[in-house]
Amino acid sequence: MKNPVDDRLDALRGSAKRLDYNARSLAALENNPRCTLRALLDASGSDKAAIATHVGHPPSFGQSSFAITRGNAFEAMVKDNGCAELLRVLRETLELTLPEVGYEDLNDVGGDGRSKQRHERTEEVLLRAARGEGDATLFDHPMLRLLIGGHKVYLEPDLVALRIDGRFHVVEIKSFPIIDDQADSTQVRAATTQACAYIIALRDLLGRAGIGEEAVSDTIVLVAPKDFTNRPTGAFVDARKQVAALTRQLSRIERIGDLVDLLPEDLTFDLDPTPDKNKQPRRPAEELAEALDQVLVTYRPDCLNHCEMAFYCRSRARAEASLDVLGPTVREQFGGIDTTTMVMGLARGELTPSEDQVEIAAALRHAARLRAELEDLGGAA
Amino acid sequence: MSTLSALAHVQAMETMQAVPRTEFRHRHLSGRPLVIVPLAMAGEAGAPLAAMVGSAKRNGTLLVVAQPRNRDQRFAFAADLGRIVMNYINSFRQNRRGEGERSRYTDAPQILVPNAGGVKALADLGRMCRFRATSGPYAVPDVVPEFGMWLTFLVDRAEQAGTSTLLPVTAMLTEHWATGQSTLEDQNLASLMAWIAPPPGLSVEQAMADAENPDVCPPAGPPTSPEFDNRDLAPAIRRFDTAHTLGDPHALAAAETELRELIAGQIQPTWRMVWQAISLLRSVPEAPRTAKRFEGDCKAFTKYSDYRDSDGPPQRKRDNAIGAARRLGWLEHALAEFESDMAFDDRFVLADRRSAGEAFAGTVVEADPGRVVTTDKNRRVPRPRVTVRTEDPVRLAADTKLISPSLPTGHKAMIVSVLSDGGTTRVTVEITGGMGRSRVPQQGTVPELGQRIAYLPDPGWRPAPQFPASDATPWTHSAADDSGTDSVIPEDAAAEEWGNED
Ligand code: SF4
Repeated sequence: MKNPVDDRLDALRGSAKRLDYNARSLAALENNPRCTLRALLDASGSDKAAIATHVGHPPSFGQSSFAITRGNAFEAMVKDNGCAELLRVLRETLELTLPEVGYEDLNDVGGDGRSKQRHERTEEVLLRAARGEGDATLFDHPMLRLLIGGHKVYLEPDLVALRIDGRFHVVEIKSFPIIDDQADSTQVRAATTQACAYIIALRDLLGRAGIGEEAVSDTIVLVAPKDFTNRPTGAFVDARKQVAALTRQLSRIERIGDLVDLLPEDLTFDLDPTPDKNKQPRRPAEELAEALDQVLVTYRPDCLNHCEMAFYCRSRARAEASLDVLGPTVREQFGGIDTTTMVMGLARGELTPSEDQVEIAAALRHAARLRAELEDLGGAA
Repeated sequence: MSTLSALAHVQAMETMQAVPRTEFRHRHLSGRPLVIVPLAMAGEAGAPLAAMVGSAKRNGTLLVVAQPRNRDQRFAFAADLGRIVMNYINSFRQNRRGEGERSRYTDAPQILVPNAGGVKALADLGRMCRFRATSGPYAVPDVVPEFGMWLTFLVDRAEQAGTSTLLPVTAMLTEHWATGQSTLEDQNLASLMAWIAPPPGLSVEQAMADAENPDVCPPAGPPTSPEFDNRDLAPAIRRFDTAHTLGDPHALAAAETELRELIAGQIQPTWRMVWQAISLLRSVPEAPRTAKRFEGDCKAFTKYSDYRDSDGPPQRKRDNAIGAARRLGWLEHALAEFESDMAFDDRFVLADRRSAGEAFAGTVVEADPGRVVTTDKNRRVPRPRVTVRTEDPVRLAADTKLISPSLPTGHKAMIVSVLSDGGTTRVTVEITGGMGRSRVPQQGTVPELGQRIAYLPDPGWRPAPQFPASDATPWTHSAADDSGTDSVIPEDAAAEEWGNED
């Protein structure tokens, strides 16, 4: 059933095929939750990479085939022989008592790899397990489902384990190493955010059958190579805060209608692709850029790591002389001022500060005087 | 960050050129630094792919691991790089000055890498090498563990502010120049250089765009660009593997040459850029106190060198809790001292601290130069007081201990009161030291009416930590570990394999 908000979102996307959220775009949500453009593009299922490319700022999010191969090889190794290595880690490293172990492969349903079928099967198996029926404790690649802004999104965790202290645990298998019990914090964080989406989806699945959310732990099990070896080790990661954060972001998407209402009626990010298989965009790039420019963005340099639109948003921020270009640490110093023009104007005393700028203007003039003194005396060139 | 620093970035953005933020270079720059540009394979920590190394722009040595997943090749690489680095380090273990306890080498090695990732790559390499056994089933050449221990020493020392034995050039550049881009982008050497010294004929904008285009400016590593990996490197490694499996020497040689050429194409632009950055940094005059800090480097180098000569065991895997806390305290102090040194030497840095309210400068408007007090021990000592009027936004509290770059060394003072007075602030300070030994302060040691002076907080003095520092404490000498996994030599050290063996 379609509601008007969906119609508006479809219109924003235009003729292109709808792209769904994936674990990665969900994770990126956490990075810049306040950005309206991103919320709209994601909620409407628009192809951000194609849009950015068409306006002349293609993203650079290539992934090295080495990293992919390594990731797959490591995961396969951990799961070999009925997850023998994984069990060793759970028992020896994490000191868990897993009495009986039953392994259930949810990769496909009798050769059927379609998401919907797999999800139904996952649901059936996990619900049975939650009720204490069946003897499976490890579920390989279950297909979970999350409703995001009314749309079904399928998510596929590496593994879900049951009966680690009586609850479901999401197990993330990653190929970055844990060296001397420490792993790279950015990578851990990214893995955790991804796992949060699984936790929420898992809780949702059980919740629909009346099972409380405590059945799913918000501690994830991270399995990764130990030191420089190929052998896995494990660690618990507390994801409570990030689960709460992601839940909040998701509820914001539910309210996407509020954002849509603020947009001009005929706004669209349609690329107007040719009907043939090349899908060449026919829409003039300037026109598309104009459409994008009508939506608020909150660019921050960190977007460069997370969002396909980043090069476009950065050039827009530069063109506007926005302090966003310099990042939050610099920005914070100028509380409330948005542009370099304003900063320099106040610093040179050419602009009259508004009431709430009085203090910062004084600090700026002071800094400008110091700077002038330094430059007058010559020195560093 | 201070308002002044932030303003420098805004200025850079407005004028589209880098803005100097210091008058001096505060890092020692060796006349003969060793540059290492490490490249690693994506997705695999500590899988070195290549390195370019050398102490002059014209004689870099390129080392390549044809199959980074192959353990033997990794060790051969570690040994080759280790030999070059150890030769370099050993060349500084020649001339000593001083007797007994005070004896030390007169110079110290300096390793420069392109960026912070380069330091991390060396840390990983050090960790990977230092526990290796030189006999038994997985024996490695002698130089491997030795190299690993030295790398670990250098990496540990690099954590201490103001040291110069291992530095990323991006950090040295950003210490001196502010750009009109973010900290994130400043970590990209090519983007940073685009602001400071764009290639001839290019505007900063063009240079910035090039810097982010991997086909024009290959990334400075450690990871190579995914496009390069997928388009060039992966097929070349496959060809090498095939030749290897077939045992075809001609094909193998051809595949190796191809790999070397490909990697040379990726690494050489960074190599040249690092040297260009070094010559830029050389053109910035060195700050006076840098020499004193370099003395500290020589001392630490000598001590570690002597420790190696005595065949001490490798640094432990991780500090215990007490050791870690102690080390953290020490690092914080070193940072405070470095910041204070810089402000003392450099009016740009002083201005920066003033703009943040952490220092102040102004004119003496009141003075009581003859003030004398009686101490607990019943001694009469001079304690002159002066009041300085400043326009700086002073954020220091009463009782803060101060030092001053405007007065003879040894001058010490303490804040008595900070009173705001219209648009200015009146800071009254009591002079507590640096006035000589007699009851009457020596000429010139007490600020006079109308004199312009600057003050900043005294970071205080702390004794240097006794060697070996806690992180280097051999496990046999330290308190019992709370867990067996923390012992200095892992039981499975010799069997610790690296990644897949294809
Ligand atoms: S890159 Fe642009 S669209 Fe993406 S999150 Fe940042 S500001 Fe929003």
